[in-house]
Amino acid sequence: MARRRQLDLDRASLLVVFLLVPFALYAVMVLWPFAQAVTYSLTSWSGFSPDKPFVGLDNYTELLGDATFLKAVRNSLLLLLILPVVTLGIAFAFAVLVTVGGPSAGGVRGVRGSAFYRVISFFPYVIPAIVVGLVWAQVYDPNNGLLNGVLTNVGADGFEAYAWLGEKRTAMAATIGVAVWGMVGFYMVLFIAAIQGIDHEVLEAARLDGAGRFRVARSIIAPYLSGSVRAAYIYIGIFALDCFVYVQALNSTGGPDNSTLVITQQIYTTAFTKADFGKACAMGVVLALITFAFVGLLRLARLATKAGRA
Amino acid sequence: MSQLDRRGFLRFAGVVGLTLPTGIALASCSSGSEATGATGEVSATNPFGVAADSKVDAVIFDGGYGVDYVENAGKILGGTQDGVSVQVTASTQIATQMQPRFVAGNPPDLLDNSGADKIADSALFEQVDDLTEVVDAVNLEGTAIRETLYDGMLNDTTVNGKLVAINYCLTLYGIWYSASLFEEKGWSVPTTWAEILELGAQAKAEDLYLFGWGKEAADYYLTLAIDSAIVEGGHDVRIALGNLAADCWSLPAVQAVLTAMGEAVAAGYFRPGGAGTQFTAAQAQWSQAKEFVLYPSGSWIENEMKEQTADDFQMTGFPAPPATASSVLPATAVHASAGEPFFVPTKAKNKAGGKELLRTMLSKEAATAFAEAKLASTIVKGTVPEDGFGSTALVSQTKMIEAAGADAFSHTFKDLYGFGPDMLVLWNSFLAGDSSVADLTKKMQDLTDAVREDDSITKVEVK
Repeated sequence: MARRRQLDLDRASLLVVFLLVPFALYAVMVLWPFAQAVTYSLTSWSGFSPDKPFVGLDNYTELLGDATFLKAVRNSLLLLLILPVVTLGIAFAFAVLVTVGGPSAGGVRGVRGSAFYRVISFFPYVIPAIVVGLVWAQVYDPNNGLLNGVLTNVGADGFEAYAWLGEKRTAMAATIGVAVWGMVGFYMVLFIAAIQGIDHEVLEAARLDGAGRFRVARSIIAPYLSGSVRAAYIYIGIFALDCFVYVQALNSTGGPDNSTLVITQQIYTTAFTKADFGKACAMGVVLALITFAFVGLLRLARLATKAGRA
Repeated sequence: MSQLDRRGFLRFAGVVGLTLPTGIALASCSSGSEATGATGEVSATNPFGVAADSKVDAVIFDGGYGVDYVENAGKILGGTQDGVSVQVTASTQIATQMQPRFVAGNPPDLLDNSGADKIADSALFEQVDDLTEVVDAVNLEGTAIRETLYDGMLNDTTVNGKLVAINYCLTLYGIWYSASLFEEKGWSVPTTWAEILELGAQAKAEDLYLFGWGKEAADYYLTLAIDSAIVEGGHDVRIALGNLAADCWSLPAVQAVLTAMGEAVAAGYFRPGGAGTQFTAAQAQWSQAKEFVLYPSGSWIENEMKEQTADDFQMTGFPAPPATASSVLPATAVHASAGEPFFVPTKAKNKAGGKELLRTMLSKEAATAFAEAKLASTIVKGTVPEDGFGSTALVSQTKMIEAAGADAFSHTFKDLYGFGPDMLVLWNSFLAGDSSVADLTKKMQDLTDAVREDDSITKVEVK
């Protein structure tokens, strides 16, 4: 075995630059605020005074009986359930179309014009989320919006002055639609890169064996992409639990009957308009726990599938 | 790794990992430092003893009124106090920007806490100076400031005996309409809710809606309902609501108004789609497109819609009418209050400067300049000429407050206890026709009861 190296300048500087500095930053910017938020969540701090009276777990027990907060939690969980499935489903389908969905004669390739589709479907992701939200808020406007304009022009008179974001039936769906529109391009590009990493010979061999495009997508691409999909799922799941920008731009007041209110919005109002930072921190802690639980569940599921295969 | 290396590593990590956060913790603990600031000599022309050559740090909400009126007062102040300069910082994010400054103990000398992102007023009560000495001082013309103000303008900000803030801009709440449109159609201004409903039928016959609303401002109808109920049932109603009494939303006067509103909703007098329309867009449907004829709002409405008002609209207001002709208060009674609360934080470095700036703003010259530039009155009387600088809305405001005299009233419980966001949701549903009067009453009562029963919320007794 090689002799252990002494802590020379080279090694020490490496440690400092690549380990200690990032760790110090992480501690100050991430761990310390976490600890602070947990501490504040045990106080009734208003946020604007130096006094932080300790109240124990009162904030948490109040949250359990707070119908508005529980509704926000339900809405956030609903987003967590639906947003990733819809976004990733569409992104996967599009990615398959522009990579292997092309003509069945000749080499495996995407549909005609796939380079063009690839670029335009990425466009929405380039626009800042807040702009996407504001643009769609105009599209959904009951009286002057593009959507109702088109619908009433083709004869769907029931949509005259229909408030997409103001009706309980449609507000959440309309919000999810905007988030999907804004995110699909990014995941599509992610999946395209992963599909291009698959050995072309595998795809061509499958085709020679008579596999259709759907079969190729299901039996070859999907298993190859499971790693990417899982990573994407975690990423978009965490995004769905946040989702502040889109919901705030579309319905800053929580939507009809609070049907689009999410936890992060409730944290914001509680902290800044109700001046109750203690409770807002408690909500933040709850959100963090939900996020950890979500990631933990995904990991468990992965372990279970691995064990099942073995 | 050798022992030595690991120990060195741990020690270093410990130093970096521990000192940084504690450093920050110490910094955030230093907020207790007392800020006294230099003071000058107190004299008849310098009642608060502002130091010569000192700087006044004013943070002003940059909304409908802008910030130039404070800058203008700052210029006047520069002339009356030796070398004192005013630094005005415009902000639309008061709560988020001021929060760290309050916590760190270096708040501004004068704060205009307003707008959608304002700090909940109740969070500031303990951290600001009593401004009684400002209204007791004389203005630059030599009259005691208290005597120059409209009646009752300090009631809203007097909290359990302490004048926590001074609201600068007179705000009258009522229903606004186009006088030219009314003349063209031959309509008269309704004085009861029964007449409003009749007007609704007349408007419908002309293919017009009676009312309309925007999703962020559905609670303007709540303010209208409260105002009408107070005129109908008198000060008992105001006191019951303000003190969050049990069953206060079921009082006959309140129910009479809510029922009339419910009838207007059921009769289709409201412009549909309000719950999904941005509120200024909804207001433009009234002031620009004239698709509906009445809009309840505060008197800022003219300034807010300046760019989006049809020519010769002749915007005019009338007070929230009672439900019946046999109301307790006369139909001329008006909800008059003031907006734009100015606070002087106790820990500010130059408190005397903050108060002196406020004294200057309340003097005739600055107040008149405000009225002329903004087409709105301050709480200082007699700054608006007969012709209202050519503004019909301003003329009607002066008429309303003069007609009301001692019957002007106000209420603050909605903002004081932060009911806004929760009530807004209920009112969007109600105005869209998705919930009944009974539903609305019950849910508003639930919210009110929850605040009343919550001992951690400081109550302000209404008399």
